[in-house]
Amino acid sequence: MTRYKKQDPEITRRKFINVAMGTGAGVGVLSLVSALGSAKPAFRLTPEKAPPIKGDILVHAAADKEGQPIRVSELSEKGVSAWPMGKDKEGNPVIRKGEPNNQLAVYRFERDRYKVPEEGGHAHVVLELNGITADGVVAYSNKCTHAGCAVPNDPNDSTKLFCPCHSGQYDLLQGCKVIGGPPPRSMPQLPIKLENDQLVVTETFVTAPYGFLNEADWETYLEQVKEIIG
Amino acid sequence: MNQWLDDRLHLSRLNDKFLRKAFPVHHSFFLGEITLFSLIVLIITGILLALAYEPSNSLVVNSFDPGTKADPNLVPAAYHSALKINAMPFGDMLRRIHHWMANIMVAAAVIHMMRIYFTGAFKKPREINWWIGMLLLIFASLTAVTGYILPYDNYAYNTVSVIYAITKSVPWVGDWLAQAAFAGRFPGDGIIPRIYGYHIMLLPGILLALTGAHMLIMIKQKHTQPQYAKRLAYKKIVGVPLMTQQTPIMLLLALLFTGLVVLFSAFIPVHPVEYYGPPSPDPISGIKPDWYLLWVFGALAIIPGFELEVLGGVISAEFVGAMLFPGIIVGAMFAVPMLDRSKDNMYYAENPTNHPVRLAAGVAFLAMMIVLSVAGYKIELIQGGLLTSANANTILWILTIGVPAVCYAATLGIVRMIRALREADERDALAHSHADD
Repeated sequence: MTRYKKQDPEITRRKFINVAMGTGAGVGVLSLVSALGSAKPAFRLTPEKAPPIKGDILVHAAADKEGQPIRVSELSEKGVSAWPMGKDKEGNPVIRKGEPNNQLAVYRFERDRYKVPEEGGHAHVVLELNGITADGVVAYSNKCTHAGCAVPNDPNDSTKLFCPCHSGQYDLLQGCKVIGGPPPRSMPQLPIKLENDQLVVTETFVTAPYGFLNEADWETYLEQVKEIIG
Repeated sequence: MNQWLDDRLHLSRLNDKFLRKAFPVHHSFFLGEITLFSLIVLIITGILLALAYEPSNSLVVNSFDPGTKADPNLVPAAYHSALKINAMPFGDMLRRIHHWMANIMVAAAVIHMMRIYFTGAFKKPREINWWIGMLLLIFASLTAVTGYILPYDNYAYNTVSVIYAITKSVPWVGDWLAQAAFAGRFPGDGIIPRIYGYHIMLLPGILLALTGAHMLIMIKQKHTQPQYAKRLAYKKIVGVPLMTQQTPIMLLLALLFTGLVVLFSAFIPVHPVEYYGPPSPDPISGIKPDWYLLWVFGALAIIPGFELEVLGGVISAEFVGAMLFPGIIVGAMFAVPMLDRSKDNMYYAENPTNHPVRLAAGVAFLAMMIVLSVAGYKIELIQGGLLTSANANTILWILTIGVPAVCYAATLGIVRMIRALREADERDALAHSHADD
């Protein structure tokens, strides 16, 4: 309608409103990010949350016998829930049950039934037979590497595990390698030995447990643990 | 008194604008109302439950089974308060009503959406309300899932661990996201207070706001008119007014419906917290999500394991099965109004058989959801001997693709046959009427 575009050397209302709204939105987003930052609490590693380390002993996890050392005679193909028990800085015994991955299932099969899994498929790590005691006792982190569920025995075959969550299947006799379903990795084995009638951890999990994206992440985490726990 | 109120609140304007809103007379239009009634009952029972619930996962002595002084029986406070609610007069009943109402709300919403889809009520100008409805469905499921976790028994503990895992599976940001959403590494010390906040404040707030928007838009745009309205008075709004005709019908329906739910809540127990016990290291069997999320569970069960590393992020089977695939499905549902390109506003509910492709696509979609839900029972199918571990995935995948394809073709075929018969009838009638002349 007007022939001349209005020349305004000053800042226009529209421009002012746009800049103000832009600034407001920017500040809003930034404050939201900072608020979200506080939504994620810091993680403090305590002896209770540390992964099993060399020298820990395996104790019962069932409520009625919690904290009692596991005897070989109590073990069978059915699996017994266990926690690793170590010591804190003052030397007091501490059950490491603050970290769900530390929940172990301990099985006992005749030693010559174990097989080294062939490479390929999901068997990323070859089972080291020296992680099994002379009596054939073997311990795994009983958390499915897919979504972190505790995995019971397959009712049709006690040498296999069958996860109730998304039907991941593992073979207990082949280093808990994945034989079906969506889990990405075999269940992490915990090397143990028999010492004075107690099951003693010789080394932490040989592969990354549930929640670690890959072996490198797990190794980095172990370095941190070493620094803090010593 | 009416005059006094009217002078101050202009009730007559409210009456003209809202209370005279015409409701179509057809039973299928009650589905949305049932969803609304469920939400109201959920809020009432939820408030009552919240008064007795203790949102904390710190350990307390179980007053029902205290153990000994040297070795006290410690359980999470949230679990303990769930036990106390069960011990309250009608406490267990309250939990059951809340649970069944939640299931029925989602069911009613799903059937309501089916009505909208099959009669084409999502078309212009009602696209926005379809999208708001989709958001309502998503947030209703999230509210239900968070509610599942609150009793913090062993079942809830396993459920939340899976939900944490799914959140964590997002490439690049998953770890941060899961820790921010669930108050630290699972199981964080503050996980129950956090989820309680979601379940009683954040999500119901979102649900109420969306419901308000949904209904205001519906009042502004008016219901789609059933076909009889076309014959009765073309392009006029036909129906009974909210005040005073529809209101008694709604009240009657609300009471009857609530009464029915209360009745079967009395007989069908839900989520027995005593049976599952407090969170424990023992594996749990038969864990399944509620029926409306079973298809995601099924997709996760039949997806083979893989991990793909892309620019430092890991794309896992879990992410694809529980985030990407449902994202595609939900995205397709969001896109439904975009499939229709008509320029004119839509007034009348369509006869589904006049739109065979839309009808067949809808039936095929529902068939796929059902097959995936059945795939959620993969363990039972294998352990029951119906399938084997070796062939389960293959067979279930073939069914997931095959059954919907068959349903699509069959629906198209049947509808075309019906239409052919109908047209033959019309020709026949026409021929006879000519003979009469």
